[in-house]
Order: sequence, then C-alpha cells, then structure tokens
Amino acid sequence: MKSYWKTVLTGGQDLDEYRAAVQDRNRELGAFLEFDPTRCAASTPDDAVVDGSAAAERVAGLPYAVKDNIAVSGFSLTCASRMLDGFRSPYSATAVRRLDAAGARPVGKTNLDEFGMGSATENSALAETHNPWDRSRVAGGSSGGSAVAVAAGMVPFALGSDTGGSIRQPAAFCGVYGLKPTYGAVSRYGLVAYASSLEGIGVLAADVDLTEAVFHIIRAEDEMDHSSIACPRELLDADSSAATDLRIGVLGGELGLDEVVATGYGRTVERLSELGFSVTAVELPTLEYSVPAYYTIAAAEASANLARYNGVRYGLRPDYAENPEELVRGAREQGFGPEVKLRILLGTYVLRSGFQEQYYLRAQKIRTAIRSDLARLFESVDVLCMPVFPVQPFAHGEAGLSPFQQKLADRFTSTANLAGVPALALPVGVERGLPLALQLLAPAFHEHRLFRAARVLEQYAPPATPPDYPPLWVKAGVPG
Amino acid sequence: MDIEELHATAELAQLVLSDTEAAALSEAVTQMVDYFARMQEIDVDDLPPTTHALLTRNRVRPDAVRQSAVADALLERAPDLEDRFVVIPNVL
Repeated sequence: MKSYWKTVLTGGQDLDEYRAAVQDRNRELGAFLEFDPTRCAASTPDDAVVDGSAAAERVAGLPYAVKDNIAVSGFSLTCASRMLDGFRSPYSATAVRRLDAAGARPVGKTNLDEFGMGSATENSALAETHNPWDRSRVAGGSSGGSAVAVAAGMVPFALGSDTGGSIRQPAAFCGVYGLKPTYGAVSRYGLVAYASSLEGIGVLAADVDLTEAVFHIIRAEDEMDHSSIACPRELLDADSSAATDLRIGVLGGELGLDEVVATGYGRTVERLSELGFSVTAVELPTLEYSVPAYYTIAAAEASANLARYNGVRYGLRPDYAENPEELVRGAREQGFGPEVKLRILLGTYVLRSGFQEQYYLRAQKIRTAIRSDLARLFESVDVLCMPVFPVQPFAHGEAGLSPFQQKLADRFTSTANLAGVPALALPVGVERGLPLALQLLAPAFHEHRLFRAARVLEQYAPPATPPDYPPLWVKAGVPG
Repeated sequence: MDIEELHATAELAQLVLSDTEAAALSEAVTQMVDYFARMQEIDVDDLPPTTHALLTRNRVRPDAVRQSAVADALLERAPDLEDRFVVIPNVL
C-alpha cells in the first residue's frame, strides 16, 4: 500500500490518475470540500521534528485528508460554515506540521457538520456527504468527510476532531478505525475551537498500524496549546503488540441498542472471550447522565468560543450595516446555520445569571462523577468495551434520526470526552450491508492497550471495504 | 422556553432570529432544556466541579516579544483594511 502512494506522489501520470479517481468518487460521496494532491506534494518539511522513527517511516510519502476545521497552510478552513466560506488558512496546525515533518502530505479538506456540531455531516452548509456502503445513508459525523475519504479508499488516513464522538461515530458508520486520543496528548493548535475542554484532534485510518503510527507522530506537548499535556515517559513506547492478556470490562445491562447492533455487540463480546481475553461484565451508573452533562458543557463553551465570529477581522461580513452592532448581528444571522444557533442559544441560556448552578455547575459536578466512575472501573479492568452508537448508519433526512434523537445517541461516545480518556472505534463486521463497530476505552495515556486489543480483533477478522469502492491502490494494481 | 425568553437569550448571544427561526429554535431549545432537567436526578452536591478532565495547572510561557510570521497574512483576511487597520462601519 505504502509504495503505491509514494509512487503516486512523485508526480506524472500516476498523480493525474490518482486525482481523477478521487474526483470521480468524490462526486458520488462528497467527502472532500477541497482536493488538490499537487499543492503539498512538492513542499519541504517545516522542521525535522520527527525523523528516523518507525512511525515516520510508516507514513512517509502517504497522502492524507484533513477535516476542514483543522488548519493546513494554503488550504481552505471553512468549518463547513457560510461564516468562513472561502477563508484560507495562513498556517498549519501543529498536528499537520508534525505529519509534514514525517513526510506525509495533506491532499484535501473534508466535509463536516458546521463547526463540528452534529452526528451525520448533514449540518454542513457547503456540501452533502454520503456513506460509501449505501449512499442513501449518512456517513456519521461530525468528521463524516474524513471517514468517507478513508473508507472509500481515497486516502489511507485522515485527521478528524472529536468533541463528543465526532471521530468514533463516523468511523463506526463507515467501517474504519477512529481514535480519539487522551485529552491534551495531541495539540489543539490549529483546530478551530468549539468546546475547548472536551475536543481534540485524532486519527481515522484503514488499519491499526497506521492509526497508531499517525497517533505517535502527532502526539506531543506543544507550547502553542496551553492545555497540551506530555505523555508520561514510561508510557511513550509502551508495548502495543497484539495481546490477549488484557482484562476487558464489557458494558452490560439495558443499553438501548437496536436489534442488529445488539446482536453484533453480543457476538463480538463472545468472540473476545473465545480469543482469550479475560472478560467481565461491568456497569457504568453515570452513563445516562453523560449526554445532558456533555451538551450543557459543550454548548456553554461553544457560546463563548463562537463569540469571535463578529464580521470584523475575518469571515462573513454583511453587505451593509449602519453601525458595528448591526455588523456583528448581520454576520451571525447570515453566517451560522440552525444547529450552530441552537447550541449558541443553549450555551448562553445555561450560563445566564441565575441558571449557572442548575445547569453548568451541575454538569461539571456530573463530569467529576463520571471521571470517578471510570477510575473505579479501571482499577479492575485494563480496557472498557462498549458500543459506539445504538444504530447502524441511518437514512438521510427525515427518514433518519431527528436532531434530538441523534444527540441522545451520543451516550456511548461522550463519556470519553468528559473524562478525557482515549477511545478507539474499530470495525468488527458487516451486517445487512453496513458496518458494525465496537468501542474500547482505556485510562489516560494508555492508548497502547487499545491498539493491543484492536490488533487481536483485526487479525481475527480484517475490516471489509465497501463493495463499490475498493482502495485505489488495489485498483491501480500496484502491490502493497 | 417561551419566545420572549428566547429573544432575551438571543440578544445576549448577538443573534437576530426571524419569526420562523424563533419558532423552530424555541421548540428545539425547550426540548434540550427539559432534557437537562435529568441532571437533577443524580446527587452530586458534595462533588467538586471538573472544568478540565486532566489539566491540573495553568500553563504559561514567558511574557516575551516574538516575531509572528503570519501577522500580514492574517490582516489580509480581514474583509476591509486601511493600511494596517481593520475597517468597520462608523459608530454613529
């Protein structure tokens, strides 16, 4: 696989073929808002911050996609919002600079729910994205474009961001790996802010090796992000080879899954035992409070973070305004879509004088309870296993889940963001023509445990690719 | 949440809502706020709040002047410029 992409990026006919093939698929799927494999192909790495490592060797020469809320110098940075339509980033995110230094090349920017707010990529103001397994269904969100770009074989990996499940849920819907790293492990410098205490940049990739290699490259303490945290030295190179000597706690009880997902989840849990893992059933009493606490905190932080869009220094400015106040209101009225306005209103409401204790402060206390709940579980298990989402990819529009139902369905993913711990969504099969997935969580900075367990499952059942979109490197007939 | 309260909140958020938008958002905001009431079911009175899951201290760097390589590029992205100033409508 790697050798083909390296060939592609040396230019000439191969690069044209690659461009044409991606553009063909993109017309059907809408993964990319902008795609140009030549823009960065000839660029020189900024700093040699990563060199000689096995991870750098693994990604050198690979093209990758970047969610359009992460800055890549010279590319668009729209957040799929009319507010930032046409905006081009003057600099690159730290994660992108580190990949540059390792020799990987960004080839385009992918669609998302506006500012990362959504679970289906249907809140994009700029494009529609479809699931490569069934184009009448959603790709998941908010990193839907990145998940589709990987699942449909357009790029081997992509960067996304995850605030309440925005990497893991689309990864699950599209049948690829999706890693939300430990909070602070990857710098947020260059990630457009939505909910700063919850979000982070992570990886979507076609296999475990690549997911891990990209994570190792982008993981670093960064003085440009005040919330970045150094990985403890003893865990930097922790063994991540396939192993079944892990104690896995499997979330049990009434989980509210649909029949297909419930059957698939039960079957995978049985398989974990058969493969040799020590499996115990566990419960997470705080789980049902994750979603209200998550949306309270995320909306509060969003209302503050999105106050910067005022039509003055950048972004959409109305054609006419009598005075500065009208300018600000006009920009926000025209620039933001309905879901963004909803979350700004909610956030403003829960932070209003007199309501803070009832909502925001209470949500933060629940956040403490959720952290304690997880810490207690991780005393007796190494990894926690749970579903990613209660249903398989749903239909576009009104035939699918309502916006409110989508929010309620974030209950398995938002826990990891509230607690700051790493979580990995992994494909575990295909049912009724659509992917099934599993989620693994580990204590902070113990991503290696996720990779150890995921490798065992990957060896047992390698992930499938959508029938209509075999990886382009296979199609081109170049051996991996 | 009634329309009056919605407009008061929108005012604080610098948002202007059309009547149709206000009707739809009022329903959606109410649905979420009602749902947030579920947080009252759990006893967390004695717990300290978590503002950040893993941060234990504020990070600062020395307060020193540095050259920025992107200052001009950032200015160029303003909708309207006069020399190195961003232009906005007059304050009347």
